[in-house]
Amino acid sequence: MKRIIFQWIAVGLAGFCLLPWYMVDGGFWAFDWIADPASPENAPALLQILLHGRWWLAGALLALLAAALVQLLVKSPVRAARLTAAIAALALGWTMLQGLVIVRQGPRILQDLFAGTAAEQGQIGFGAGAAVTLLGLLFVLTTAISGMGKGRGDAFVTGMIGLIVSLVGVFVFYPVAHILISAFQTSVGAFEPGLFIPRFFSSEIWGIGCLVGQGSCGPAINSLMLAIATGVGTTALGLAFALIFTRTNFVAKPLLRVLSVIPIITPPFVIGLALILLFGRAGAATALFSDLFGIEKSRWLYSFWGIYIAQLLSFTPIAFLVLIGVVEGVSPSMEEASQTLNANRWQTFRHVSLPLMRPGLAAAFLLGFVESLADFGNPLVLGGNFNVLSTEIYFSIVGAVANPARAATLAIVLLVLTLGAFLAQRRWVGTKSYATVTGKADSGAHVALSRGVKWACYLTALPWAAFTAIVYSMIIFGSFVKLWGYDNSFTLEHYIRAFGMKLKNGALKLTGVAWDSYFTTLEIASIAAPLTALVGLATAYLLVRQNFRGKDVFEFSTMLSFAIPGTVIGVSYVLAFNFPPIELTGTALILIIVFVFRNMPVGVRGGIAAMSQLDKSLDEASITLGANSFTTVRRVIAPLMGPAMVAALTYSFVRAITSVSAVIFLYTARHNMATTFIVGRVENGDYGLAIAYSAVLIVTMLAVILATQFLLGRRRLRRENRIEPVAAGRA
Amino acid sequence: MGEKPKKGSVVFEDVVKRYGEVTALKKLSLSIEPGELVTLLGPSGCGKTTTLRLIAGLESATEGRILIGGEDVTHLSATYRKVSMVFQSYALFPHMSVLENVAYGLTVSGIPREKAHAKAEEGLEMVGLKGFGQRLPSELSGGQQQRVAVARAIVLEPEVLLLDEPLSNLDAKLRRRVREEIRQIQQDLGLTTVYVTHDQEEAMAVSDRIIVMRNAEIAQAGTPHDLYERPNSAFIADFIGDANLADCEVIAAGEGETKLNLGGREITLPLGAATTGPARLVLRPNDLALTSEPGPLAFPATVSYVAYLGNQIQYTVQSEFGEIFVISPPVAQPFGVGDQVFVEIDPQKALLVPDEPVGK
Amino acid sequence: MKKRKMLGAALVATLFAANGAMAEELSIVCSNEQDWCDLMTSAFTEKTGIDVSMVRKSTGETLAQVRAEAGNPKIDVWWGGTGDPHLIAASEGLTQPSGVDTSELLGWAQKMADISGGRTIGIHLGVLGVAYNDEVLKEKGITPPACWKDLADPMYKGEIQVANPNSSGTAYTELATLVQVFGEDEAFKLLREIGKNVNQYTKSGSAPSKAAARGETGISIGFQHDMVKLAKKGFPLKIVSPCEGTGYEVGGVSIISGTKNLDAAKKFVEFALSAEAQSLGPQVGVYNVPSNKNATLPPEAPDPSTIKLIDYDFATYGSTETRERLLKRWDEEVKDAGN
Repeated sequence: MKRIIFQWIAVGLAGFCLLPWYMVDGGFWAFDWIADPASPENAPALLQILLHGRWWLAGALLALLAAALVQLLVKSPVRAARLTAAIAALALGWTMLQGLVIVRQGPRILQDLFAGTAAEQGQIGFGAGAAVTLLGLLFVLTTAISGMGKGRGDAFVTGMIGLIVSLVGVFVFYPVAHILISAFQTSVGAFEPGLFIPRFFSSEIWGIGCLVGQGSCGPAINSLMLAIATGVGTTALGLAFALIFTRTNFVAKPLLRVLSVIPIITPPFVIGLALILLFGRAGAATALFSDLFGIEKSRWLYSFWGIYIAQLLSFTPIAFLVLIGVVEGVSPSMEEASQTLNANRWQTFRHVSLPLMRPGLAAAFLLGFVESLADFGNPLVLGGNFNVLSTEIYFSIVGAVANPARAATLAIVLLVLTLGAFLAQRRWVGTKSYATVTGKADSGAHVALSRGVKWACYLTALPWAAFTAIVYSMIIFGSFVKLWGYDNSFTLEHYIRAFGMKLKNGALKLTGVAWDSYFTTLEIASIAAPLTALVGLATAYLLVRQNFRGKDVFEFSTMLSFAIPGTVIGVSYVLAFNFPPIELTGTALILIIVFVFRNMPVGVRGGIAAMSQLDKSLDEASITLGANSFTTVRRVIAPLMGPAMVAALTYSFVRAITSVSAVIFLYTARHNMATTFIVGRVENGDYGLAIAYSAVLIVTMLAVILATQFLLGRRRLRRENRIEPVAAGRA
Repeated sequence: MGEKPKKGSVVFEDVVKRYGEVTALKKLSLSIEPGELVTLLGPSGCGKTTTLRLIAGLESATEGRILIGGEDVTHLSATYRKVSMVFQSYALFPHMSVLENVAYGLTVSGIPREKAHAKAEEGLEMVGLKGFGQRLPSELSGGQQQRVAVARAIVLEPEVLLLDEPLSNLDAKLRRRVREEIRQIQQDLGLTTVYVTHDQEEAMAVSDRIIVMRNAEIAQAGTPHDLYERPNSAFIADFIGDANLADCEVIAAGEGETKLNLGGREITLPLGAATTGPARLVLRPNDLALTSEPGPLAFPATVSYVAYLGNQIQYTVQSEFGEIFVISPPVAQPFGVGDQVFVEIDPQKALLVPDEPVGK
Repeated sequence: MKKRKMLGAALVATLFAANGAMAEELSIVCSNEQDWCDLMTSAFTEKTGIDVSMVRKSTGETLAQVRAEAGNPKIDVWWGGTGDPHLIAASEGLTQPSGVDTSELLGWAQKMADISGGRTIGIHLGVLGVAYNDEVLKEKGITPPACWKDLADPMYKGEIQVANPNSSGTAYTELATLVQVFGEDEAFKLLREIGKNVNQYTKSGSAPSKAAARGETGISIGFQHDMVKLAKKGFPLKIVSPCEGTGYEVGGVSIISGTKNLDAAKKFVEFALSAEAQSLGPQVGVYNVPSNKNATLPPEAPDPSTIKLIDYDFATYGSTETRERLLKRWDEEVKDAGN
């Protein structure tokens, strides 16, 4: 323990004395700062204090030295730990505070106190030195806390909790607070909390006119109805797919797998457009039905139903990804046990398998619910006069009349709905144990589905898969024709414009207009995805396996960024990270961070579902065998979480590529993203190019997903995942 | 196993464990000698597993101190305690081979792979599973899995070995064999061992000492013999070896002779009793005899059930002081259901315990 | 512990990997069509040698970003898009006067500079119009509209699509135009009647014309240059300039307050106003009316001399006060009238 504390003190001191405290021009890795390491811009904190009079930075240094002294001098380990923790906490607070108080323009408050000092010149955002020092302090704090006997004395556990809490605090709470505060402000920015209540309960938001047959409903009610329908629908479809995969010998599984996952990797707007081309008033299917059955061409698609279908298409894969791991994880021996107790297949499914999948079902529903609430692209394209919260929020921010107070109020409404769903889910799952992967190895075979369930699955999933196939053939078709829907002559023009390349002087020159954003997007997504999976699963581990105070709040806070629509997150990131102490706008980093913290809840939910199936005694066995928590996670838990990991990785990768609303305010010319490029083209009516680009993205993502699946997807629980033979031969 | 593992003592000083409102352990103090096999015995929910997990470091004590080998480990995390545990579910890592499972604890503590595997092979040999190293746990039988779990725990040469209901997943025959093996290994290695079970027979068979727990505290501790012969409560008497508990009333208490009222008859037994009033007489089934003759200590009863087991005959009879279970040696002409018989008490074997509910 | 540290190091590394400050290049947000943005950028760099990093964002998004970044802007110049948000930014002090010579410009472009105190200058004109899908109207056997008043005819029931003025600047221009053509009360009466025929008030201003192009609706109201572009792509879209007279928007160019590249920003504004730059539009299918007298007018562009244009009062109808009043009235009287 002592050794670990000293290590982190050393890290903190290194950051303080060696690395440039502030952000340096050209970026840290350009190493331009090494040339002039003592200048007011490049100096480490130690030199900032000695040479440039920035005395207020000394807090961290004093704390690190004091912590070292305490560790050396105080005999009682618990007392030493307590003192060290207090010192580190104080220094963390102080360092943050000085960053918030003294900004670019000088001190924000207490100007008199700072008069005549270097503070009046202000300071810029934290750089590498500050980050390393803060990290050192944070881990000194958490290690000391573990020394006080918290977290069963495990420094790794307290360190992880500390790290994740800090990250969520800085990258979720801090920015979101910036925007939510405007719900309590007047239009000129004065703080007036009394305004909130009437704003929040306004009938414009909560109107239930459509339910009582008078006019339209408020966006809150619309969003709520849609989200419940979508949550239920995606969970049911996802379950049907998952059951077909794990419990039947269906022949075309690989094809089905691709079809069930494709929607997730589809850039926004594309599904909406395809639906319009099929079922819009002038759509192909509409024309067909009109010719065949004389059904009048109507605009039914531009309503609840249109959005609902699009959301089902878009979000079923998420439910599927969450559920397949869970369905697979249900222990065969429990099903066998049930069968030997004379339950038939249906009873086994109904009373054993299904209840054991409860955490998975709950997670899938919650994700579908929240995704639906935050979905922006589909309601925008198909909404008609059906207003939902996400689009209302977007237009409150960017509309002809910007109304940040309304946007913030609606965002809070949205959060309340999410919180409600979250609590309901908690109640439903309860505290029962759903562990099915126990340390007692079992080698049984999964019970095949009863005829009824099997056909129910087939009848739900297969038409749906066929529907998906049709929608996607439309999209592919659209990328090869001149003018989708009007001039259906074959052309490669769109692909050439987007991804053309020329051989010039023996060198390949990429002439297409899409290459730039294509590579940027892939790069950012591949950095963000593993980080997202890591943070998400680490959080899941803490939530499932560790007990600490404030766990519920912690859990909900990790859901926050997901529940808030991208637009709100985007604006709040600009508001928070455009100014010291943390200046990130204009960098690729802010895009990575926004992806990591926006998509991390998927990793968390999937991780929780998968981890609740792992018997706790496995971790405990590892720990009593002398492994620390980190080794346990690495060697025991992680290998058993294969499918959850794949789900988290692929999902975050894909989301980083397909999300648009959050990045609208954050992308720059240098870091242009594929989706914003596509949206720009759609705006421009340039569907061919947009769809060609989407098709290429879809193929790219599919390749990445299959590769990840291949590399990480298998868990070695049994030699093979057997399904009780029903017909001859296995699929 | 070259050298013998270091022996370790385990001491609890006023340890309290609370989960929120629920108290799982009330001020527990105990001491386990090095090399001793102590069983924690008790009905489920009595706190025995909590005690075990506290020794392992999987739970942290709310109050009090825990010492292992004389060292205060109250705040030490499980990773650093020299304690190994065999789990009820075995907790074999399903994704690792048997050999990898056994070598796990060695490799994570930094022993080179080859050496660890060699040692693991030794461990497997010791539990009689030589040559099974490359299999997956799912390819072993329950008994084999159990032995892998034991091997995995002992190759680490822990100061203390903890066993949490290690036999509960095995069939009766296997159970006897494995428990003998465990006892054998424990004695060979001189390992301090704490064994949790709810099966009193198992406890009696393997233990140097038994700590019977009930309602989050120790009910009685002692050698199997002590507990059987001198239970301090109806609960212990009932839990350790079967016992008929007959309600009676002490009329005159004395040092070596006690007069009491049993089934309306006054009898005198060579027992010590502290107070007069309601009490319970412990009558072991083996210590009772069925006769067809009345006597001063023979009470009338009717046979209601007979089971012939070859080496013994089990009777259930209805007497004036309740239903009584009797085991008698096989005889040529056993009694039949409905026969009028007399239950004869052996005055030397009868015990008196306070009158309190047995409730488990 | 070694691994822990590596983890920490990796984290820090990613934290700072990309954390670079702005390089010395001009940062432009373009609210015009992507192709035009690209063309302008390369033409400007070719001419001046100044490196440009350009990104396309809609006006609403740009305004929101400029507001959020006020005090430490990451954008130097905002080019293109409807004039209203430019004027709002000017009135909020988010943009600064460029002091560029406007003598070569047409009156409406200079007027915009006057209103905003030189903070934003007109670069092109977009005329408001009505478009109809020829095929759909023929199939349904209804005659195309020619005037604003025609739109109130019940035969168009369920066929008209227009944006919601609360979210769309285009729709607000339409609202303000009708108010200026008919007078406020008369205009709202007409809007209510038209509302009975409206199938959807879209969020985005360009959506109705796109829907009309595909036949999802019969008639749309929007800017004519959007309609021309769709018609050029091959959609059966016909454009009408209403007989009572129609309004227009003036696209603006503004320099963001606090820019670190003022000189380069001015050069860009000069370039954007030059006849040379403004003649580039048709190359990439942009057909609005340029503000420089000497720029060539694309033949497909709506010719202002043949269209009855009203004298749009930007000062009055661009003010927050009027806007809020009209929108409130629209919400109360028009929004639910049709449904």
